[in-house]
Amino acid sequence: MRISLTPRAALVALIALPVIVLWPLWWVVLILVAIWALVILADAFSAPNPRRIRVRREAPTQVRLGNSVRGRLLLTNPTSRTARLEVRDAWNPTAGLDDQRSAVDVPAQERRAIAQSFTPTRRGEHRSRTLLVASRGPWGLARRTTEVGVPGRLLALHPFGSRRHLPSRVQRLREIEGLAAIHQRGQGTEFDSLRDFVDGDDVRSIDWRATARRRSVVVRTWRPERDRHVLIVVDTSRTSAGRLGESTRLDAAFDAALLLTALAGQAGDRVDLICVDRIPHLSVLGSTRTTVLHDMVTATAAVDPALVETDWELAASTITQRARRGSLVVLLTPVESSVVHTGLLPVAARLARDHPLVVASVSDPALEELAAGRGDLESVYLAAAAEQARAERTGVSHALERVGAHVVDAPPERAPQALADAYLALKAAGKL
Amino acid sequence: MLAAIVASIARGYYRDGPLEPDAPTGQGSKAVVQVLGDLGVKVEVDRHTVDAAEALRMGRTVLVTDPRSLSAPQLESLAAAHEDGAGRLVLVAPDLVTLSYFSSQISPSGAVRTETLIEAGPGCGDLAHQAEALLVPAAEEAIRGAASLYRVSGEGESCFSADQGSLVAEHDGALVLGSADLLTNDAVGRADNSALVLNSLSSEGALSWYVPSANDPMGSTSQTLLGYLPDWAGPLLLWLLLIATVALVALGRRFGPVVVEPLPVTVRPQELVLGRARLLQRSGDRQAAATALRSAAASRLASRLGLRRESALDGLLAALAPHVGRSPEQLRALLGPRPVTSDQDLVRLAHDLDHLEKEIDR
Repeated sequence: MRISLTPRAALVALIALPVIVLWPLWWVVLILVAIWALVILADAFSAPNPRRIRVRREAPTQVRLGNSVRGRLLLTNPTSRTARLEVRDAWNPTAGLDDQRSAVDVPAQERRAIAQSFTPTRRGEHRSRTLLVASRGPWGLARRTTEVGVPGRLLALHPFGSRRHLPSRVQRLREIEGLAAIHQRGQGTEFDSLRDFVDGDDVRSIDWRATARRRSVVVRTWRPERDRHVLIVVDTSRTSAGRLGESTRLDAAFDAALLLTALAGQAGDRVDLICVDRIPHLSVLGSTRTTVLHDMVTATAAVDPALVETDWELAASTITQRARRGSLVVLLTPVESSVVHTGLLPVAARLARDHPLVVASVSDPALEELAAGRGDLESVYLAAAAEQARAERTGVSHALERVGAHVVDAPPERAPQALADAYLALKAAGKL
Repeated sequence: MLAAIVASIARGYYRDGPLEPDAPTGQGSKAVVQVLGDLGVKVEVDRHTVDAAEALRMGRTVLVTDPRSLSAPQLESLAAAHEDGAGRLVLVAPDLVTLSYFSSQISPSGAVRTETLIEAGPGCGDLAHQAEALLVPAAEEAIRGAASLYRVSGEGESCFSADQGSLVAEHDGALVLGSADLLTNDAVGRADNSALVLNSLSSEGALSWYVPSANDPMGSTSQTLLGYLPDWAGPLLLWLLLIATVALVALGRRFGPVVVEPLPVTVRPQELVLGRARLLQRSGDRQAAATALRSAAASRLASRLGLRRESALDGLLAALAPHVGRSPEQLRALLGPRPVTSDQDLVRLAHDLDHLEKEIDR
């Protein structure tokens, strides 16, 4: 506990000025100092002990980034004196607490609340580093301060802005599922039902055994297989730290991963997620269909890019360990020549042999702006350099497609939809 | 600069100033001091009042070259020493206030502004010091302005009288000279100035030449600015200082720690492109820039026309020809590997490629 002075303590000392003018002696000054110190101490100790103030936090644990959430601090004064309190709740700045400092008077044997509003500006975990309660004396000359151990924690979740695209994709999914066009048996289909033969049906899908039991000809219908496995691998290395407009490349990648998770959940597929760079450091594995989206949003909230290169060999071994044969593997990594040179290409080739493989990349919209520049000589050179970079990206995606991966490369605002569409296309083609 | 240093060394070091005993300049008094030395008088130069008062007590003659510049304590100290000891005091052109410390009988009565020859009157006696006439320069030529004249009452004696008073006066061991020019190198030789000066200063055999100095510890005025403050100012100032300290401490209070937060790292993604563009521009590699622009445009045109990306330039040109209003030669010049010679050509090429793509888009 610490005793500190208020500015009023200095103002009170001004009262002694006439005394000094009347008796200008050094020992008078000393006595006045002593009297002043006594008054300050008396005021400080007539304030209620801040340690006896009971503090309880009523705060939400999660908020979607971009939204506001309200919480309360409840201060109970069990003493018999009115407590004039100053409270500082030291959250980190990006937690977006509207006012860290507040003053409240709590009468004896009563309780008061301090309303708090959080608007986080950064995804991830936010903490209150400390909570300080200062109790001012009745004259307001001094205060006693103490630290209260009431930990605060708030998780700012990924905004998941792409969720507005979910209804349209789910509708497409239902169309695909109910589509009579999938009469052919494929790798990713399962038996649905028997129905009467109509003109145009493939004769190979006639179920002769059922036909024999009935008078009419009966065909089998197939639907996309349910309960498939999707493994999303998010690259969190230095290339994902690139700032594209407002957010980083990793944010867009998580946006895409979440939309795919929600869509796959609707399709009845199981989704797992692992984040890799030098080590596979975060994974959401084995969640049930109903909780997977929540688990994934919570788990990815605190993942930030790291300035390291991805170890693709290690990632490949983790993927083969986690993914069953035939399950869809989605690699969320930028398609850049540097990434390919660090060993993505052979790993992609190996994975594509056993799994349907989608490489989803978030491209830089600034590159297109640069490529369209025609203003002066400098912007033309910039456009040429941007075209070179785009040509390199195209070459890399061709190389990946040649080894059997499906490449999705889109700017951040279109990347989630593009990945969802690629998933739906695989479903429709019966490859999944 | 070297010449200046050499000149100053050759000239020798001396302090220049009015009535400085070492100065050979017009306002100095080296001539008088040297002649006094030749006459066997021990001349000692004093700059502090304490030394001059000590000399007075020891019975020497003390010449005060500028009594007007002395402060009250200095004058009191000199007057006390003069009363205690047997020494003679020679004051050069003192004013009324200065004189009041040493003699009540002598008072200033006027001034001589023009060059005047003042003759010793008949009743001078010893005070004339065997001089018959003194020449006082005009006020504008004199080192301290007009020469002063004094009136003597009671037991005092005076000599060299002009209209309003006398140039030389003596009372009670204090000799008053009305003009500082009597002692300067310039004017000591005129008329009988030298006789008066040399005889009056050499009478004791030892002379203290007192030149008041600004760095005399007694010279500073005792009543400083702080001395005018009332006695409660000190404690009051201390108290206000205490209050200010308390206020600063109270206002500067930091309520709890500064919260530091590690923020996630972000990287600008276009650095590589920008760097490459600057490299291209600095090296003037127009051909590489043109190739990049052409191949990008060609691949877009090919995909627009439904050609395979790998198809050769001839196939693309053949497919383009029916759709655009340009000759095959123009198209080949635009998309083919024609060298680009100037910066203007490169910019024009970029615009032409844009136009071509727009034509196909239509």
